[in-house]
Amino acid sequence: MTAPFLEVVDVYKSYFLNGKRIDVLRGVNVRIEQGELVSLIGASGSGKSTFLHVAGTLDAPAAGVMRFKGQSVFDLNDAQVAEFRNTKIGFVFQSHFLLPEFTAAENVAMPALINRRERRATMTRARELLERVGLLHRAEHKPGELSGGESQRVALARALIMQPALLLADEPTGNLDPSTGEGIHALLREVNRELGITAVVVTHNEVLARSLPRRLRLVGGQVVDADAAPPADAAPVGAPG
Amino acid sequence: MLALAGFGAVVWAFAAAGVLPVMLGELGLGTVGFGTFLGALGGAGSLLAVEQQRAAASLLVNPEAVGSARLAVAVGAAAWVAGWLALSRGLTPRAAVARADSAAKGKPLFPRLANSRDFHWGTLAAYGFGLFAAEVAFVLVYLLLVGKASTGGAVTGGLAPVTAFVLAFGGSVGVAFGAGFLGAANSRRLSVPEFTTALLYFGLPVPAFLTAMHHVGWLMLNVGYKLREVVYLSSLLGESRPELGYWLVFAGLVLATFLGINLGFVATASGRFDLRTSYESFIASRHVAVFRPRLVIGVFLVLILGIVPPLILLAIVSAADAAVSRTRIKRLGLADPLLAAEALNEQRLAAQTPTAMMTALSVGGVGVGVMALVIVLSVMSGFEADLQKKILGTNSHGVVMKYTPEMPEYAEVVEKIHRVRGITGATPFILNEVMVSSEGNISGSMIKGVDPKTVGSVTDLPASLGCEAGRPCQPMEALEDPTKIRARRLEPGVGEGAIDDTPAKPPSPLIRDPMVELPAEAPDDSVLPGIVVGKELAASLRVVVGDRINVVSPLGGELGPNGPVPKSRPFRVAGVFYSGMYEYDSKFVYIHLREAQTFFGIKGASGVEVKVDDVDDARGIMKRIYDALDGYPYRTKDWGEMNRNLFAALRLEKLVMAIILTIIVIVAAGLIVATVIMLVLEKRKEIAVLKALGVPDGGIVKIFLSEGLQIGVVGSSLGLVSGLAWCLFIEKVGIKLDPQVYYIPALPVRIVPLQTVLAVVIAILVTFLASVYPALKASQVEPVEGLKSE
Ligand SMILES: Nc1ncnc2c1ncn2[C@@H]1O[C@H](COP(=O)(O)OP(=O)(O)OP(=O)(O)O)[C@@H](O)[C@H]1O
Ligand SMILES: [Mg+2]
Repeated sequence: MTAPFLEVVDVYKSYFLNGKRIDVLRGVNVRIEQGELVSLIGASGSGKSTFLHVAGTLDAPAAGVMRFKGQSVFDLNDAQVAEFRNTKIGFVFQSHFLLPEFTAAENVAMPALINRRERRATMTRARELLERVGLLHRAEHKPGELSGGESQRVALARALIMQPALLLADEPTGNLDPSTGEGIHALLREVNRELGITAVVVTHNEVLARSLPRRLRLVGGQVVDADAAPPADAAPVGAPG
Repeated sequence: MLALAGFGAVVWAFAAAGVLPVMLGELGLGTVGFGTFLGALGGAGSLLAVEQQRAAASLLVNPEAVGSARLAVAVGAAAWVAGWLALSRGLTPRAAVARADSAAKGKPLFPRLANSRDFHWGTLAAYGFGLFAAEVAFVLVYLLLVGKASTGGAVTGGLAPVTAFVLAFGGSVGVAFGAGFLGAANSRRLSVPEFTTALLYFGLPVPAFLTAMHHVGWLMLNVGYKLREVVYLSSLLGESRPELGYWLVFAGLVLATFLGINLGFVATASGRFDLRTSYESFIASRHVAVFRPRLVIGVFLVLILGIVPPLILLAIVSAADAAVSRTRIKRLGLADPLLAAEALNEQRLAAQTPTAMMTALSVGGVGVGVMALVIVLSVMSGFEADLQKKILGTNSHGVVMKYTPEMPEYAEVVEKIHRVRGITGATPFILNEVMVSSEGNISGSMIKGVDPKTVGSVTDLPASLGCEAGRPCQPMEALEDPTKIRARRLEPGVGEGAIDDTPAKPPSPLIRDPMVELPAEAPDDSVLPGIVVGKELAASLRVVVGDRINVVSPLGGELGPNGPVPKSRPFRVAGVFYSGMYEYDSKFVYIHLREAQTFFGIKGASGVEVKVDDVDDARGIMKRIYDALDGYPYRTKDWGEMNRNLFAALRLEKLVMAIILTIIVIVAAGLIVATVIMLVLEKRKEIAVLKALGVPDGGIVKIFLSEGLQIGVVGSSLGLVSGLAWCLFIEKVGIKLDPQVYYIPALPVRIVPLQTVLAVVIAILVTFLASVYPALKASQVEPVEGLKSE
């Protein structure tokens, strides 16, 4: 396997607001190897979520190439992209985004159901995952009946059910107290270690970030190594580069 | 944007060309679209064949207008061509406006951005040629199948029009459907612009041409006769308006294409052929939640009982429920606040959201539409069946006649007829028009000479005289043997001076006049031939059984000094019949065949009436009789032909009712559109999440299509069940009608399975199509955009 696991080359992304162009990603270049556990930090509004969405194929960049195990992901058609999202990527959003009509267990099972896996086996597997995140006793709760941290843990279980190659987590601990947050991070380290899932975790928590093996920083519309660049010189987004 | 401008130009061209002929008025073609086509046609015509134009000119009513008409045609053609040019100009790219370079200059463009919203020419070709091919195939296949048939009346070869139509239409629907499917599969989306273009430029011309044919003389002369079978078929379809027929077929083909496109898209939008809907329907059923017992029972009650009673019921139940539960919660609260909170929470869970209410409303709307369709169609079929029963009871199922008025060899004919398979009875008859007069009144009537021995095997005449099958029928015997009729004797002073009145016993069980019970006095002095009259006629003539009436015929009399003298003959009423058809009861009188022969001077009979075992196959059986009699000089007619106007009117009425009620269903479908749009708006975030979890566009479309479909299916089923329940109620309990007015004691119903199923299928189809647009909108939600909408 000579091709890198994930390779992002020259990705540009701009938003257009009232005729003004806001360049958020200005030529992002990243390389992530299989099995890495990476944290992504950066100032609020620096474009971390935007980058994660682009990498997760949820948002379209203006230009750039992203290769997953040597395959150009942006060249996939709609159906292939859907399949890619379903089988290769697990996404944990900044806010949990569970489906309100379905119970916690059904939410966890949803990606596998979308993959047309068998219903009964899938539900069993979903319960196992819920047990793993310590929420089996909430399996029949609807999202409206869960706390923020519980929801985030359900979302994590949902992201894991398809055993994705790449887990993208956008501030999974943002709304949580430090100890619960640490619990989630421990869980991430665990799945990374045990299941070999490569993960990119966006976080504001420097302490938590420091506990992960590799740290990236989004600054000035580009991704740099957090340990190499000083955190102070973050240029504001949209400023002429 | 440029393409849009081009399209605008085309629209302008349509308008310009369409408006001009209307303004000039002599072409009288209203629709904008085919005004253009006519324009183009005329323009091409004027370029290609000046002679034909001249022929056209001579055919148009107003010669001065021809010049301006030709001008309009030329302008229309020019505008049409210009529209095309504008469209193609708009499609060619123009140099982009120069702007400052961005940082990303020279970097690879995101590919899906470049080609996701492409205009698919292949798809346009599939849609356009598919539609066009379907139309042309329909015409050609139909002509081929009908073949050389039916130039006169006799079918010499080829298939019957109905069979040929079904085959040709089925085939072309298949072509249209297939083309739609392939086109959609090619582009992996619905391709609405392609479909619209195909419809306007490839689909519309054929029906527009056929319609124009009826309005432009030289077209009719040159092309019309070749297509006369198509014209004939279309006038059958359109209830004698062929244009309507063309557009009906066209609409059917467009619908087939559209369905094909939908199915093609749904099947292939997820990248491969995939019609499975496992998780889609699971998600959809959670969204709409139409299978809740409360909703189903509620809608069903509303359909059965109307709006008000269930509302009152609901008010009573919820008031009682509130009283009970509030007291309970309060008492619980005093004892244990946690239990009270739990009870409150249960109450909160039962509350309805606005979307749930909209869902209930649209389920109810579809239900009402389907219920109305089922009930009205069943009642109308009931009327039709009732009419058919009465017509068939009084009339025969078919007649055999000759091209000459007499059939002296009727006995032979009857014998031959009896040898044909499917015949249950045959009887000779003589039919004529006469005047019937009594002392009281005078009336024009149809007189029928019948053979009392066999007439019962063909019509219900004995039964309508009150006779039971298998027992001797007194009035019938009286026709055979006039001495059996007892002349009626009037109470002295009451009668109007009838000379031949003699005492009589009540001869018919139908009419009981207390006066006739009086003992006999004088013997019968004149034996008159018997006559049977209808109940209404007897009432208007003021006669009862035993009375004497005169039959006057303008035919067959001797020549007097002032021309022919009407022939008159007295008869004695042998019986009064009641068929239930006002027409017959007020118009028909029956005498013995023998009397009719002498009265009208006819040898034998004027024809033979036939009864068959299968009324619906009367046509075929009559054809067999025709063949058994070696055709000419004999001719046959079945009951449908004899009463064509009546049944055609009834069918037209039913068609109109069906259309009106389908509009109800369409309104209900509007509700569904609103509901599904609400669902889409409400679920934007969920759609985004689902997409992020890996649901392809096709899956999202399937989810929302299946939401619409679930509403449609539940609504239609409820409508069907309640409609059938109502029909059953009408049948078993009955809704009384005033027999004096309607000549029928209660509202008739007849549930025809086929039309009921058709009503439900149409309703479900309409609801399915109604949810196409919102489903499409749903699939266009981009994941990120949906996630951020809050
Ligand atoms: N739809 C949009 N239109 C215009 N500007 C946008 C849009 N979405 C995001 N932005 C801008 O793009 C920038 C990057 O946003 P993004 O959500 O990626 O930031 P972030 O790094 O995730 O911040 P945070 O840590 O607060 O979550 C912000 O300045 C934001 O204002
Ligand atoms: Mg963010």
